[in-house]
Amino acid sequence: MKEYTEKIREIAKRLLNDGTVDMVIGFRKGTLPMMNQPHIATCTDSADELMWDSNCGLNLANYVTDRKEKIGIVAKGCDSRNLVTHVIENKIKRDQLYIIGIPCSGMIDHHKITAMFDTDITSVKESGESITISGNDFSKKLIKQDVLCENCAACTHRNPVEYDELVADLVEEQTDVDPYESVTEIESMDAEEKWNYFEDLISPCIRCYACRNACPLCYCPTCFVDESTPQWVGKSQDPIDVRTFHLLRAFHCAGRCTDCGACERVCPMGIKIREFTKKLNKDCLELYGWEAGLSLDERPPLDTFKTDDPDEFIK
Amino acid sequence: MKLIKIDQQNWNTGIEKAKSAYRVFGPVKEKNDYEFKVLGTNEMPDLNFRNTRLSPKSIIYPQSQVMFTYSIDETKDDCRIMKEVENVTSPMAIIGVRPCDALSFPIVRRNFDTPEYQDTYWIKAYEATTFVGLACNSACDTCFCTSAGTGPFGEEGLDVLIIKDGDDFYTKIITPKGEAFAESAGWGKKEQTDITAKIKELKTAAEASVSSTVSTDKLKNKTILDLYDAPFWEEEAFACINCGTCTYVCPTCWCFDVQDETHGKSGIRMRNWDSCMFPLFTHHASGHNPRNNKYERVRQRFMHKLKYYVDKYDSGIQCVGCGRCIRLCPVNIDIRKICDKMNSFDTESCKCEATSS
Amino acid sequence: MKNFLEHTGIEPGRLHFSWISSAESTKFVDVVKKITHEVKMLDPANKRYVKTEPKVD
Repeated sequence: MKEYTEKIREIAKRLLNDGTVDMVIGFRKGTLPMMNQPHIATCTDSADELMWDSNCGLNLANYVTDRKEKIGIVAKGCDSRNLVTHVIENKIKRDQLYIIGIPCSGMIDHHKITAMFDTDITSVKESGESITISGNDFSKKLIKQDVLCENCAACTHRNPVEYDELVADLVEEQTDVDPYESVTEIESMDAEEKWNYFEDLISPCIRCYACRNACPLCYCPTCFVDESTPQWVGKSQDPIDVRTFHLLRAFHCAGRCTDCGACERVCPMGIKIREFTKKLNKDCLELYGWEAGLSLDERPPLDTFKTDDPDEFIK
Repeated sequence: MKLIKIDQQNWNTGIEKAKSAYRVFGPVKEKNDYEFKVLGTNEMPDLNFRNTRLSPKSIIYPQSQVMFTYSIDETKDDCRIMKEVENVTSPMAIIGVRPCDALSFPIVRRNFDTPEYQDTYWIKAYEATTFVGLACNSACDTCFCTSAGTGPFGEEGLDVLIIKDGDDFYTKIITPKGEAFAESAGWGKKEQTDITAKIKELKTAAEASVSSTVSTDKLKNKTILDLYDAPFWEEEAFACINCGTCTYVCPTCWCFDVQDETHGKSGIRMRNWDSCMFPLFTHHASGHNPRNNKYERVRQRFMHKLKYYVDKYDSGIQCVGCGRCIRLCPVNIDIRKICDKMNSFDTESCKCEATSS
Repeated sequence: MKNFLEHTGIEPGRLHFSWISSAESTKFVDVVKKITHEVKMLDPANKRYVKTEPKVD
């Protein structure tokens, strides 16, 4: 990862110095292990703060929405797919962006790792395929593949789909993975079990809206939950209101979600929130052969009409 | 103040006995984390927790709380008259409040219980509650309680402080409320023992385990507008996604929003926690929003906790150093870092930098 | 949307889609009859999906 960091800094400084971009958006080291912070570098000094490791799971496309400057942006596979989606949806122009592509080998799941230990983790060090977790009185070596975020473990688009420059050679894409395993499992339940499954899933929700706000797709000037004239959904902790929020949030991502996992990563309550969007992604793939953000030239399925669109649901 | 020593068995029977007089809350492991829950029969507080994911503030101040009911039926005499809901709280006891969280109640009280204004919902719940604290024998990495006016053995806001030493519970009874609790737990007649030296030893070790500190000494003497106009806000706020995590997990954040919901001819007026991170928080009916930019909202949160509160009440900062916002912030905005920036902010040197560059 | 709602536990049979022209009044009547019949066959939904007043502690 050290090579990635050095290369990112080198590219960022070059772009800032020669005026190609006004800023470079990337990550800088956080104050806690497994917590890096999105960072905006506007000069060579702040470009030296840029870094890369397996804790850069937030989606940086979230930070370019409606910006007017020329922006250099560090993008792994999923970020690049969301940048493509942003371009398609007119949230940014392609020629405003200089995409610094990151061939990605997956991000590690901080929720999972934190839950593995009873005490504080003081440092997380990576070396190749292993991760060493240490605390005040312990040190444990883990295999990175075992502690990947679930979406990364089943990711089939690790390489950026759109980029101006790469920081390293492309990585091999995974082929033998099933991103929809849990969806298939839920599909086999009856209505009652499904209802209860999701009831239990979202029961810890505190409606902080971190899932919505970390998502590059959620850029509405006023979200439906914040709308007051008319008010679409109640604001209390009433379970039906909480569920309405989750259903509608997910549905607004239909055909657009790249399964970057930012929503799940940021949830302070550790809710596996991708269970909602994954179903929509699976449907889009099965009904329209569509995965979001793979091409600048194709319109999304919910944005177009084709005579052979599936219509069995209309009676 | 009385000091007694309780063994494991007396502890268990005491908690069980107290349940007949109090609704007893305690930390319980839920999925991967600890939360405060009402303890059922034979259910014991699980004291192996470091701290709960959410603070105990919601026991006194629920995230959603009904305050009034009303009718909009024109044929009724009480049409459009707000009727206060029954607001009587039976005695409650919260077991295992960490000293940092305990301090949050006196802090929040400064807002909800003033000579000019009394929030009866909060006050009644607060007055009905006995706070049985649990001293921290070792601190988390994100704890900075010793910089925030308390410490791992802090007593402010507590009625009883429990210090756990192996299987023994050293129990410090601090207030009459605490005495009443000990009485109902059957600990009232226990002999006072001299364990002061032992407690002191544990306390010193615990305080030494607090590894992070922040300086707050210069905040009071800064000029509000200097800090307000400080150049670091935009950069520090860049990563913020404006979710409500920091405010909802914070034991001292007290803001709420009032909502009416009508169903048919009847309705309720309730309050829900609100967050200064949300644009809607300051959105005026006219459409104007005085805090329209992200950095302004981030600045508000820190200025409120670390400057406006400091100036208004002269009782330290509106933060207890529990570290929840640091651990749970999705983008690693760290109050320790911001506090240090504010505390060490120097207008003069800043001006020089600005002119020289 | 139908798939998604059913996936999260709303029974098949509660959500219907039909294409009816403004000239097809008889089809409209038939469809409405069919839908009301099918929905009546299901258990009442009020406890689960219909919010009456907020349930808060």
